[in-house]
Amino acid sequence: MVELQGTLVLLILKTLARGPNHGFGIALHIQAASEGLLRVEEGSLYPALHRLERDKLVSAEWKVTGNKRRARYYKLTSAGRKWLAKAEDSWDSMSKGVGRVLRFA
Amino acid sequence: MKSDDDFREEIEFHVDMRTELNRQAGAASEEARESARRQFGNATLIQEEMRRMHANTFFESLLQDLRYAARGFVRQPLFTLTAVFAAALGIGSTSAVFSVVDRILFRSLPYAHDGRLVSLGMIAPLDTNEFLFADAYFDWRKHQTPFTAITSFTAGVADCDLTQTNPLRLGCAQVEGNFLSTFGISPVLGRDFTAQEDVPNGPRVALMNYGLWQGRFARDPNIPGKTVLIDGQPVTIIGVLPANFEMPTLAHADLLFPEALDEARERAGRALRVFARLKPDVTLAQAQAAMQPLFESSLQYVPPQFRKEVQLRMRSLRDRQVQDARTASWVLLSAVGAVLLIACANIANLLLARATSRRKELAVRAALGAGRGRLIRQTLTETLLLGGLGGLAGCMLAWALLRMFIGLAPEGIPRLDQAALDPRVLLFTLAGSIASGLLFGIAPALQNPQAESLTGSRTAGTRRMLLREWLCAAQIAISLVLLVSAGMLLRSLWKIQSVPMGLETEHVITAEFVLSRLGYSEDARQHQFINELEMRLARIPGVGSLAISDSLPPSGGTRGRLLASMQVEGQPPFDKGTGGLIMWRYVTPGYFSALGIPMVRGRAFTEEDRAPGASSMILSQTFAQRLFPNGNAIGQRIKTNEWATVVGVAADVRNLGPMQPPEPEYYILRRHVPDEISRIQEPPTGWRQAKVAIRTSVNPKVMADWIKREFAALDPALPVTIGSMQRRVGRLVDRPRFNALLLTLFAGMGVLLAAVGLYGVMAFLVTQRTAEIGVRMALGATPGAITKLVLSRAAGWTLAGVVVGLAGSIFAARAIQSMLFGVEARDPGTYLVVLPLLLLIAFAASWIPTLRAVRVDPMTALRHE
Repeated sequence: MVELQGTLVLLILKTLARGPNHGFGIALHIQAASEGLLRVEEGSLYPALHRLERDKLVSAEWKVTGNKRRARYYKLTSAGRKWLAKAEDSWDSMSKGVGRVLRFA
Repeated sequence: MKSDDDFREEIEFHVDMRTELNRQAGAASEEARESARRQFGNATLIQEEMRRMHANTFFESLLQDLRYAARGFVRQPLFTLTAVFAAALGIGSTSAVFSVVDRILFRSLPYAHDGRLVSLGMIAPLDTNEFLFADAYFDWRKHQTPFTAITSFTAGVADCDLTQTNPLRLGCAQVEGNFLSTFGISPVLGRDFTAQEDVPNGPRVALMNYGLWQGRFARDPNIPGKTVLIDGQPVTIIGVLPANFEMPTLAHADLLFPEALDEARERAGRALRVFARLKPDVTLAQAQAAMQPLFESSLQYVPPQFRKEVQLRMRSLRDRQVQDARTASWVLLSAVGAVLLIACANIANLLLARATSRRKELAVRAALGAGRGRLIRQTLTETLLLGGLGGLAGCMLAWALLRMFIGLAPEGIPRLDQAALDPRVLLFTLAGSIASGLLFGIAPALQNPQAESLTGSRTAGTRRMLLREWLCAAQIAISLVLLVSAGMLLRSLWKIQSVPMGLETEHVITAEFVLSRLGYSEDARQHQFINELEMRLARIPGVGSLAISDSLPPSGGTRGRLLASMQVEGQPPFDKGTGGLIMWRYVTPGYFSALGIPMVRGRAFTEEDRAPGASSMILSQTFAQRLFPNGNAIGQRIKTNEWATVVGVAADVRNLGPMQPPEPEYYILRRHVPDEISRIQEPPTGWRQAKVAIRTSVNPKVMADWIKREFAALDPALPVTIGSMQRRVGRLVDRPRFNALLLTLFAGMGVLLAAVGLYGVMAFLVTQRTAEIGVRMALGATPGAITKLVLSRAAGWTLAGVVVGLAGSIFAARAIQSMLFGVEARDPGTYLVVLPLLLLIAFAASWIPTLRAVRVDPMTALRHE
C-alpha cells in the first residue's frame, strides 16, 4: 500500500479528471482501467481521498445519486488539476527511464 | 470538522453498492454483503484513518485539546474554581498595580525622546524641587555645554482669569520661547512662539491648552489669531497645544505666555524651573560634572549666609515628575508579583495533585500511542486555558481594584488620573496569563506518564510529593515576606498617627481663595476685601472663632525669611551661617483659637494689637527656644520687616507632617490698614491669596453654604474652595496609609492563597496515606501518634518556609526602609506579631486534614487496599 500510494493518488486524480465521482465509482473505474492489475483493498481508497481533500487537491460534497441515495462526490480542484499535470509529466519520464533500464538489463 | 457519522455513511454507501453489484452478479444476499465487506477491508481502521487525515492540522488538534481540557475542567468544578480564583487573584492584582505604576515607572512621557530630558537647578531647603534664579540662569544658558537645548519657565502656574462673558479661572504659565521645541512638542493648530514674541514688553500672545480649546471654544479651528480677554487685557491666541500636552512639572496650565525674561533688568529676579535636553552622547553624570563649575560661579548670586545649604541638582525628567513615588511603586509591584508567584505555586500544586489522580488516564493514552510531545502539549493547553480563564477573571478584578485604588489614593501619585486598563495594560495581562500558565504548567507537563502507573501501585508519587512540599514552603516563605512588609508599614502608620500635630483639627472648616489680579492688585483693595470678609464671616451664627491667614498648616505656600536677615534687640546680629529659613504667617487674632494651637507662654493676639502704632509678634516654641534658650522670649523685640514685640510663644505645629520635626516659625498680625508688610507683593500672587479657618459646631455642609453666600455677596465671580482642617492634615498621612493598606491587602491575598495551598496538600497527603494510616491504627497507633505523624510533615515544610521567609523579610524590610517611620528594619514587634499569626494560619490549614486522618476507620481503609 505504502509504495503504491503515489500511484493510487495519481489514479484517483486521473479518474476525477474525467468528471466528479463518488468513492465507489472511482474504485470501479480504477479496477476497470487498470484491467484488474491493481489489487488493493477498496477501503484504502478513502483515507487517500480524504487526504487529497485536506490538501485541497479535490473538493467533496454530498449529493443524491440516481437511485436516491446520498453519496459523497469528489471533484478535482484547479490545484488538483495542476498537480496532476505535473505528476503525469514526471510519471512519464520515470516510466520511460524504467523501461530503458529494463530493456538494457 | 467532519463527523464520524459522515465517514460511516460514506463507507456504508460503498459497501452497499458493492453488495448490490455482487448480487446482480448472482451471489446470494448474505454472501454478497460478506464479500463486499471483505473487499472493502477493515472499516473501523479505515474510518479511524479518515479521521486522522482531517484532525491532523495544528489548529484542529488544538481545538480538540481545548475541548478535552474544558470537559475535564467542567468535570472537576472545585478544582477549576480554585485554580481560576487563584490565577485571577494573582493576575488581577498584578494588572491593577501595573496600570498604576506603568505610568510612573515605564511608560514614556509625552515628549520626543523623553529619556534625554533633564531637570536642573539649585536645591535649597526652601523648596523640595530644584529651581534657579533668573540671573544664574542667564549664565548657565550662555555657557552650558552638555545640552542641545536649555529652557525655562517661571516657577509656579499663576491663577489668571478669562474676563469675558462667563468669567473663568485659569492657570497661566510663562514659558521661554524655546520651551516647546526643547520638549519636542508642536502645536496641533497655529504656531509656536517666535523669538520676537519672547522679549520684554513684547506682543501679548498665548498658546492655548487643548482642553480649554475644546471645552470653552468648541474646537474653533479659527482660534489662532483671535483675541481673548485675560485679566482684562486682550491676548492674541497663536496656537493650540496637543491633547496630551502636560507641563514638565505636571502642573495644570491652560495658557502659556512668553516668559519675556529681561536680561538687562532681571538681576536677582524670579525663580525659574529649568529643563534641558542632553546631547546624544552625554550621560547625566557627565552633564552634572560639566555644570558644576557654572553652578559654583553662580553661587555669587546667592546670599552669602545661604551658600552652604545650596547644591546643584540634576535629574531625569521622569525622576522629577515621579518624586518619591518610585520606591513605593516598586514595592507595590514587587508585592503583587509575589502574590502572583504564590498563585502560580498554588495552581502548580493543584495541577500536580490532579496529575496524580490522572496518572492512569495519561498512562492509558501513552499506551495507546500518544506521543510524549502530544501529551505535554495537551497538558500545556490545559494550563494555558486555565491561565486564560484566570486572566479574564483577573481583568474584571483588576478593573474593580483600579476603581478602589483611585478612590483611596492620596493626592500626589503622579498620573493616577490617567491610569486605566488600556491596550498596553491588557497586553501585560495577556502576557502575565500566558507566562503564569507556562510557569505553573511546566512541572505537571514534564511528569512522564509511566506504564507502571497502570499496575495501580501507589509508590510512584513520592518524588512529586517532595516537589509539592517545596512549592508549599515557597508559598509560606513569600507570604511571610509580604506579611512582614505589610506589618512594618502598618506599625509605622500607627506611629505616624500617634504623633501630635500641634493643632486641633476637628470642627474646623477652611475656605481658600485667590483674588483676581484685575480688581485687587492694590494692597488697599486687598485689605478692604479681607476686612469686609472678616466682618461678614464673624456675623454668621455658630462661628466660634475665625482666622484669616495667608497660609494654613500643614505646609504649602508659607512665606519664609532668612534668620540672618532678622535682628534681636540687644543682641549682636547673626553672623555665621544662615540659620536657614524661618517660616512665618500673616494672621488675624483668631488664628490660634480657630486652629486650637495652645499658647505655651504669654498670650495670643488681641484686637488691640491691631491698633495703629502697636506691633506684636508670636514665636513658635522651637523658634523661641532657638533665639532665647533661657526662656525669656516674652517682651523681646525682634526686627523682621519692622520691629515687633514678642507677646506670646505658641506650641509647635508640624507643618511638614508627622514624620518631620517641627520647624521654627513666627506669626505676624494682619492689621486693618495697609502697612509695611502688605506693600511687599511677592509674585506670583502677592497677598491676593488668603485662607480662612472657622471653628464651628454647626453642620459643615450648612456652614459651607453660609460661607459661600458671604463670599458671593462680596465678589460673585470669586471661586472659593471649601475644605476641612481634618482633611488637610489627614492628607499628610494619606500616602503612608495608602501604601500600608495596599500592602496589607496583598499580604492578605498571599496568605489566603498559601493557606488554601497548604490545606490542599495536606488533604491530599492524608487521602494518599489513608491505607497506611489504617494499618498503623490497626497495629495500635493512638490518635495522638497519627496527629503527630501528619502534623510533623506539615511542620517540616512550614519551618523551611519560615526560615527562608525570614531571610527574605530582612532584605524586604531594608528595601522599604525609606517608607518607614519610627520602625527599624529588624523591628522585633512586627516579627512577634507576624510570625505567630502565620504559624497559626498554617496550623489551622493543616488541622482539618489531620482531623480527617485521625478519624480514619482502619477497617474501611484496609478493605480499600
